[in-house]
Amino acid sequence: MTGENLEKDVAVVVDHVSMTYKVRAKDDEGKRTLRRRVRDFIGTTTVDVHALKELTFVAHRGESVGVIGTNGSGKSTLMKILTGQINPTSGNVHATSTPVMLGVNAALQPQISGDDNITLGCLAMGMTRRQLEPKRESIIALAGLQDSIHLPLKSYSSGMSARLQFAIATSIDPDILIIDEALNTGDAQFREKTRQHLDSLRGQAGCVFLVSHSLGTIREMCSRVLWIERGVLIMDGDPEEVTEQYDSYAGQMGRGRVKAPRKQRNALMEQLVKTEVVWSP
Amino acid sequence: MTEQVPASNRTQRIHVSPHDLVSIGARPGFFEYIRQIWQFRSFIHFDSRSRIATGNSDDALGRIWLVLNPILNGATYFFVFGILLDTAKNIPNFLGYLIIGTFMFRFTTGAITQGARALNNNQSMMRAFNFPRATLPLAVNVRELMSQVIVITTMLVLILAIPPLEEISWLWLLIFPVVIVQFLFNLGLSLLLCRIVTRFPDVVNLISFGTRIWLYLSCVFFSLDRFENNPGIYQAMQLNPLFCVLDITRDALLYGNVPSFERWAVLGTWTLVLLIVGSIAFWKAEESYNQERA
Repeated sequence: MTGENLEKDVAVVVDHVSMTYKVRAKDDEGKRTLRRRVRDFIGTTTVDVHALKELTFVAHRGESVGVIGTNGSGKSTLMKILTGQINPTSGNVHATSTPVMLGVNAALQPQISGDDNITLGCLAMGMTRRQLEPKRESIIALAGLQDSIHLPLKSYSSGMSARLQFAIATSIDPDILIIDEALNTGDAQFREKTRQHLDSLRGQAGCVFLVSHSLGTIREMCSRVLWIERGVLIMDGDPEEVTEQYDSYAGQMGRGRVKAPRKQRNALMEQLVKTEVVWSP
Repeated sequence: MTEQVPASNRTQRIHVSPHDLVSIGARPGFFEYIRQIWQFRSFIHFDSRSRIATGNSDDALGRIWLVLNPILNGATYFFVFGILLDTAKNIPNFLGYLIIGTFMFRFTTGAITQGARALNNNQSMMRAFNFPRATLPLAVNVRELMSQVIVITTMLVLILAIPPLEEISWLWLLIFPVVIVQFLFNLGLSLLLCRIVTRFPDVVNLISFGTRIWLYLSCVFFSLDRFENNPGIYQAMQLNPLFCVLDITRDALLYGNVPSFERWAVLGTWTLVLLIVGSIAFWKAEESYNQERA
């Protein structure tokens, strides 16, 4: 399968991206040399954790890409690399514009008021003052904080600040949107508001990545699914097919099986059509 | 337990053109970086303003501490050095001398100790949003500049209120260029320290120590004339940029002398060098600030 034509409508290109974390921890394998003992004592021994191994794929405009994988498979690491929050150990990411992650991690400052947090957050996302002011009302309305917006943030309940975070983070209209389990915050009333808001954002965005453990959500919202396991892409394709395979895999893992899932993984990896990116001049 | 990862034998080649695509997480060129910082000027302004308003909000006296702090410091030095150790002799208007010393010195120590931690203290902001990281130390410095305006106003009031009486002269206007140059000096040093601290976090512990030594070497509460008999030290002390700041301010506010060109030259050179070295050093590591430390 070799296409000579230039690919159109490319939104995101992930090219040979890998990520290795250095984690401070004691490593009990290997010889205990004097150097190791000293480093153990000071607490500077590091262990390499391979979160992602050489990943390549291309996403197009108009696609809603679901990303699934068991805990610790490297999904969140990949999303952080896509937004430029962390840099991959090797490889690089190109996109039409910087992807924006809608999570629940918009940073809020506890001493200043909710209103000031809206200003600070929006300006930190690169809005100008003029772009910000028309949005303020809708942010406050989405967060449902009309009465307490002038109180300092430390007086908010955790649910209130989560709602404010979400409302701030979703106030920009990103071209490439990443949603990381954001649907699970807040009470029922807020969840319904969130859903509507996300739907409208998804409609406007050129390309959406959705990270979720809910296979129902994935099937419902995505046109393509990437399954990442142990830092390796093992399936890429139709949501029905991928989620079905994933469901049986996760079920086996959940029952403590080891061999059958490994077999399944290997079989899937053999079937996977690998992507190679060729840069045209 | 090593696992053989089966290689797929099928590969699809996707031809893409780098047009219309930007590299994510890559460091922009230096001047592009400066331009980005300029675009985030509202953020810098708001960040510095919102934190100055709340900086001391947990204390009962709040922002009054901004002024109370150097006053109490000055009182301590006056007691220890002026009275106990008697460094005051031969210094005309020792109280004014001391007030200028502590109030002006505070600007730099405040700016660089806060500035050096600007990235480490804002990890959550950095995780959540993508903005040029230099905006954080810059915001700290702008905030310190705003505080310094209040501090300097108090300083001028004190100098006028405490005898011996000083006359207001045109030379007092020199306080503006002094503060601006000191601000740029602090900024350059903050950027450099910030880069060092993010790479070697332990250095933070040395900064307060360093500013302490610097304080003792900057003629805050004694006169340079003590070292007249020791030309080596005498010359070296005059190369200290903060000594230059204090000396220029004292000449202008207390003694009615036009500050010497030499002081301006030393201070200006330090400022220029630190600003260039600091901003380039900071920019060079822009990508690494995003790396999560485990």
